[in-house]
Amino acid sequence: MRHLPVYILIDTSGSMKGEPIESVKVGLSDMIATLRQDPYALETVCISIITFDREVNQILPLTELADLQIPNIITPDSGPTFLGKALEMLCNRIEVEVQKGTPEQKGDWRPLLFVLTDGKPSDIQVYENIIPKVKNKNFASIIACAAGPKAKIEPLKKLTDQVFTLDTMDATSFKKFFVWVSDVIGVGGKSVGTTDSLELPGPPAEVNIVI
Amino acid sequence: MNIEKAIDLLSNGESDERMSGFIKYYANKLWAEYNEYLMNEIVVIENKVKELPIVIPNASIRKPYNAIVSIPCEEMTDITLSGLTEEVQGLKIEKQEDGKSFKISGTPKESGTFDVTLRYKYHGLSVERPYLERMLQIIINPDPRDLWKDIPVPEDMEYPKDNTAKEYVKVAALSDGTPQKDIVAASKRGRSHAQEGKPRDDDFRLYHDEKTNWYVIAVSDGAGSAPYSREGSRIACNVAVEHCKEQLADSENFDDDINLYHLDQKSEAAGKAISADIYKIVGNAALKAHKAIAAEAQQKGRKTKEYSTTLLLAICKKYDFGWFVASFWVGDGAICLYNQADKTAMMLGMPDEGEYAGQTRFLTMPEIFSDSNKFYQRMNCRIVPDFTALFLMTDGVSDPKFETDANLKSYDKWNELWADLKENGVELTDDNEEAANQLLNWLDFWSPGNHDDRTIAILY
Repeated sequence: MRHLPVYILIDTSGSMKGEPIESVKVGLSDMIATLRQDPYALETVCISIITFDREVNQILPLTELADLQIPNIITPDSGPTFLGKALEMLCNRIEVEVQKGTPEQKGDWRPLLFVLTDGKPSDIQVYENIIPKVKNKNFASIIACAAGPKAKIEPLKKLTDQVFTLDTMDATSFKKFFVWVSDVIGVGGKSVGTTDSLELPGPPAEVNIVI
Repeated sequence: MNIEKAIDLLSNGESDERMSGFIKYYANKLWAEYNEYLMNEIVVIENKVKELPIVIPNASIRKPYNAIVSIPCEEMTDITLSGLTEEVQGLKIEKQEDGKSFKISGTPKESGTFDVTLRYKYHGLSVERPYLERMLQIIINPDPRDLWKDIPVPEDMEYPKDNTAKEYVKVAALSDGTPQKDIVAASKRGRSHAQEGKPRDDDFRLYHDEKTNWYVIAVSDGAGSAPYSREGSRIACNVAVEHCKEQLADSENFDDDINLYHLDQKSEAAGKAISADIYKIVGNAALKAHKAIAAEAQQKGRKTKEYSTTLLLAICKKYDFGWFVASFWVGDGAICLYNQADKTAMMLGMPDEGEYAGQTRFLTMPEIFSDSNKFYQRMNCRIVPDFTALFLMTDGVSDPKFETDANLKSYDKWNELWADLKENGVELTDDNEEAANQLLNWLDFWSPGNHDDRTIAILY
């Protein structure tokens, strides 16, 4: 059985505490509910969530949609944003969790990566060192979302061409963002037989494209 | 000090009326404070209970479910769990003997997210309290089979294509009753395409030359990500088969080379002659198909890759000494010569596959033709005494039925497929024209995660 692995990296540094993280949780659970109504997603999509602040945690190992329950997401009061470390963990987990094609085993679909942050990586050295490795992982698409006024776009541009911004970090913006993410996942599952990057569906008005 | 003296002190010589107002005021204030203290106590307890790792595993509709939900907290007593009934969800909750765990069982009959109420008393509160509650949820997954939609393609679509196709090429038995091999093929739009009202991207084309007795079969799979791949696959099959048809209409030289190769004990010279023939027929068919697609794209001002398609092509003929089969293959899917008599399943090449699923090569890629060495490797030829069936299929069929390259090489797996066809209503008997319908119906089989277009052609 082939899966479509989806990795979601969520910034849980202090600035996300309160309304932003609560909105992310609502957005995430709406997204899962939507995907459950998509027969293809229900059979193939696997989701993993990695949170990063001063600590990096894979709070949800790669799990099939049918078995998935969203774990509680906790944010510390303050502290750095270790996005570099989070990407390191991502690379390690992919090695373990994603099935590559071999003569005896069919490979999974190329994974999707979503990164959501409201700041900038604090571990800039680690971040820059890990980027080539991440790019080597052959993601079907890497989508970075810079949420709110303090999010820095430049570091994310080094990771991917697909950088989007959210002007505000309220429930409506995150909800729209995650609706769009579920569309992207839907497309990812259906774009069978391509070696190119995914052609993304157009984002909603709240999600701005960074050119 | 006695109580009267204390009251005197407290009243401070004020009137009874004022004194009673004073007492009422402070009593209310203190009660409010006390009640708040008790409320806080409850909030603290409720938050603590909220943090408890209580897991209700997800259920799925129509799948028997059985889970034990444990409440890992010593202070909680008189626990109940409610909200599910056999009438509504098809699930019942039973308290276990230990009073701390519950069995949820049954066969869910409705999908969705349902609230489950955990009620309890908490031991150690300052005063006895009514029941406290925590809301839990159980998720009952829908069955993907209930969610698929069959949306028709837009009527005004460029390059229209039917959602299904089938064909039976009947080569009637000889007058003495000797059966002649027939070809049957069927192709069906995948559920993932139907779900979005997208057309079928697969295609096939069959041909049998009455005069020379050559069989030609082409099957192709248009890339799901390429917007005009349905036309790419159609052109690929048509052009490739047309070319073979022309080349094989007068096949005397080719026949001579094949006969010579047989008589000459497979000599190098005869081998070279056959190679040249195959290149001219099968190899050129592929090249012509590639060029025709590129020309169509150019004429429409589009990129060739917007027409990306695979191509599996085979030509086949019976001689006195046995069967000659030659093939060309680019992309995924499978071409296999299956023979029950000697228990062999010969793959005529292997699918082009990448590190992850869905990465393959297409006829539309120029690099397929630029490396002549690799191009040659895409061609194959076999001479066998006889065979049970020659299969050509797109990955919509080969993925669910074989899954891996190792399985594609396994005779047992091909034998299973043969049995699967037979058990599921496809009667592959000589001259059975109904087999085309049967094969089309067979293509509806269920396999989780495998809902691509499906196309299969069988020469038997």
